[in-house]
Amino acid sequence: MNPPVPATPLIVADSPAQPTPSAEPLAPPHAGPAGQPLLSVRDLVVRYGTTTAVDGVSFDIHAGETVGLVGPSGCGKSSTAAAVLQLRRPHSGEVRFDDVDLTALDERQLRPVRQRLQPVFQDPYGSLSPRRRIRDQIAEPLRLHGRWSHSAGPRRVAELLDMTGLNPALGSRFPHELSGGQCQRAGIARALANTPRLLILDEPISALDASLRAGILNLLLDLQDGLGLSYLFISHDITAVRHLSNRILTMRDGRLVR
Amino acid sequence: MRATAARAAALTAVLALTGLLPWLSGTDPALSLLRARSAEQEPTPEALAAIRTDLGLDSGPVALLGRWAAGLLHGDLGVSWVSGTEVLPAVLAGLQVSLTLMGAAAAVALLTGAALAAPAALRGRAGTGTAAAVLAALPEFLLALLLLITVGVWLGGLPTSGWTGPAHLVLPALALGIPAGALLGRLVAEALPAVLEERWVELWQGAGTSRRYVTTAALRRALPPLVPQFAMVAVGLTGGAVAVETVFAVPGLGRTALGAAKSQDLPLLQGAILALLTLGLLAGAVGSAVRRRLLGPALRDASLTLPTARPTPVPTAVPVALGAVLLTTIGWGLLREPYAIHTTARLAAPSAAHPLGTDALGRDVLARLGHGAVPTIGTAAAVCLLAGLVGLLLGFLPDTATGFADVTNALPPVVAGIMVAAVTGPGTGAAALAVTLTAWPPLASHAAALTQEVRASAFLTAQRAMGASPLWILSRHVLPAVAGPVARHAVLRLPGTALALASLGFLGLGAQPPTPEWGLLLNESADYAERAPVAALAPAAALALLAALAVTLAAMTTRRRTTTSQRKSLSLAR
Ligand SMILES: Nc1ncnc2c1ncn2[C@@H]1O[C@H](COP(=O)(O)OP(=O)(O)O)[C@@H](O)[C@H]1O
Ligand SMILES: [Mg+2]
Repeated sequence: MNPPVPATPLIVADSPAQPTPSAEPLAPPHAGPAGQPLLSVRDLVVRYGTTTAVDGVSFDIHAGETVGLVGPSGCGKSSTAAAVLQLRRPHSGEVRFDDVDLTALDERQLRPVRQRLQPVFQDPYGSLSPRRRIRDQIAEPLRLHGRWSHSAGPRRVAELLDMTGLNPALGSRFPHELSGGQCQRAGIARALANTPRLLILDEPISALDASLRAGILNLLLDLQDGLGLSYLFISHDITAVRHLSNRILTMRDGRLVR
Repeated sequence: MRATAARAAALTAVLALTGLLPWLSGTDPALSLLRARSAEQEPTPEALAAIRTDLGLDSGPVALLGRWAAGLLHGDLGVSWVSGTEVLPAVLAGLQVSLTLMGAAAAVALLTGAALAAPAALRGRAGTGTAAAVLAALPEFLLALLLLITVGVWLGGLPTSGWTGPAHLVLPALALGIPAGALLGRLVAEALPAVLEERWVELWQGAGTSRRYVTTAALRRALPPLVPQFAMVAVGLTGGAVAVETVFAVPGLGRTALGAAKSQDLPLLQGAILALLTLGLLAGAVGSAVRRRLLGPALRDASLTLPTARPTPVPTAVPVALGAVLLTTIGWGLLREPYAIHTTARLAAPSAAHPLGTDALGRDVLARLGHGAVPTIGTAAAVCLLAGLVGLLLGFLPDTATGFADVTNALPPVVAGIMVAAVTGPGTGAAALAVTLTAWPPLASHAAALTQEVRASAFLTAQRAMGASPLWILSRHVLPAVAGPVARHAVLRLPGTALALASLGFLGLGAQPPTPEWGLLLNESADYAERAPVAALAPAAALALLAALAVTLAAMTTRRRTTTSQRKSLSLAR
């Protein structure tokens, strides 16, 4: 057994990383009472018609932990993410989040759970509506779950903008008036609106200029420190994954490999 | 799959509507039938009841439809209520005349189209120019009337009425064929430049391939994608035939249908509509078959990139100027009195008192033109709104919409107008309904494309992940993204819609006198074109302006759509 790799703040985008064996940590960083994992995926299978994109994947994520998921393009990383988020219902397997099997819930029952489990996508512009101001988009999850009020709502949006390193003045802009990095921060702010516990980050920096990547990675580390978030960090860029993750899973052809 | 089901459903619905016309219209044919059968018999209640039973009008819609369908299968279309003769021979005779006319019109169209597309094919010039575009938008009834007045009445020499020899074919074929040809030529001329800029053309030319060979190859590449649109032009001929046959008194299918609708001779109307509909559906089916044949497996594999059409660019000033002229005329006319009759000044030439002269009752033509804008353009606005709503709704069900559109596309507005008028009687509402029924498909396909684009975006996935319900997503995100552009598109279709309404008004299927609706106005003034040419030509000019406006606005929509998508890809690249 190897010792867990501590999450280290990223200083330079391509600084050398420690070797990262993909093994269970001895003790997860912020493990719950009985070491109960926050997310527990068992024998996950995702199919599109006859093709099997994810073929029996199992892994755990503990509170406060970052698990990296790497692998070549088309190996099933995004499909795993979609199945964990229940955006694509898995063909079989279990997705236990906070000790509830999400695969057993219907869309309505999932709604409250979704506040605590949020995605961040690859395309910074595509994941925001081109027609809405940034502040309205960050406010939308609050409104959706009845957490919006005239006094507290705008304050929370300002707080989220600040937390993600965005100038509050940018809130009144439209996505096309922002840079890719700023849009990605807005997407993260929206994901954080309802204080989630786990973020599924599907290639969150792949579409960004190399110069912006380090900023986003550092933001993610800061947020984790401040909020005790857990991350499933998906990327085909192993250097970035190494900087962020306590543990790394490698995927190939729909299966986890050692 | 769903498209096929919708297609079958729509076709069945149209056929059932046709079969049920006698029941739907609620007219009682007993009296007219009695008169037609024997002049001396008294119209006693018993005799009338006997006729109703004989026609099966008392047995309810299902039995009526059943009888009609059974007769149809035996080639029995029933008996005319007016003449008492078999319907089938009358329909076949009309069909023969109409097919001859359409054949001649097709020849005219091919010549016109070839002449217009030649500069593009030989010199790679884009488009055909605005004049040809306006010609393509000109409704057949307007061109027919202009030809009738100029060539027939003023120049003389060519017969303008009847069907007794080859000379009678000339003017109707020109009126029907020229707009169709202008449309064909425009389609080809807009598709060719993109093809001629493809790399292989340069390679072939570099290799010394003859110019003629390259042009032929370019045409072979440009034409197949246009085949469905060619089919639509052919369908348009069936609608145009109604107007042209009416103007030139040609005893074809279209005129038969119109006459039957006006005299409430429903069996004859059913037969004529059936024949017109069959022609339209055949054109559409042949179009798709030819396209599949020409494009073959490439279409199935979606591996073929087809060249994008390049519409003739139109400066924004053109539609603005056209609109300004129209609005000024309308505004001026609205200030005047349209119904006042000046018996002393009938058919007066333009003067200070009557800037556009007076009509046969001595009414001020400018005033009537101005006030006529309300029923013409106002109704068109209502139709556009309705068609936009229908398009929006069906845009969310793209498969169903495609199926319905295939059938409505086979139904020109005029034929729909005849059917609706037969049920409800002619009127502004009937015309509006008919045009709405045929106006929604382009709006629905635009809405469907936009919906698909929104649905495919990662942003919608984020919405679902947020826990948004389908209704929330639809009402807050999809609808706002689709409704705006579709509404704009519907507004830009306003002039074309007004022309379709005017066609119906001209044929007496729309607004009724004394409403100064433009189509009706033209119909009334055409009779005295020789004595008061300005009064006759004023509504024609207004309609031609409308046609020009329709064309230039259409050119602007395509341009705007390309620039937005370019802007989007630019912002993504940033
Ligand atoms: N919506 C879909 N329909 C059909 N096949 C899909 C779909 N999404 C992904 N796939 C297939 O599933 C496999 C895994 O894709 P994905 O999960 O996107 O991989 P990755 O994110 O690792 O690049 C690929 O073979 C891909 O072609
Ligand atoms: Mg992926």
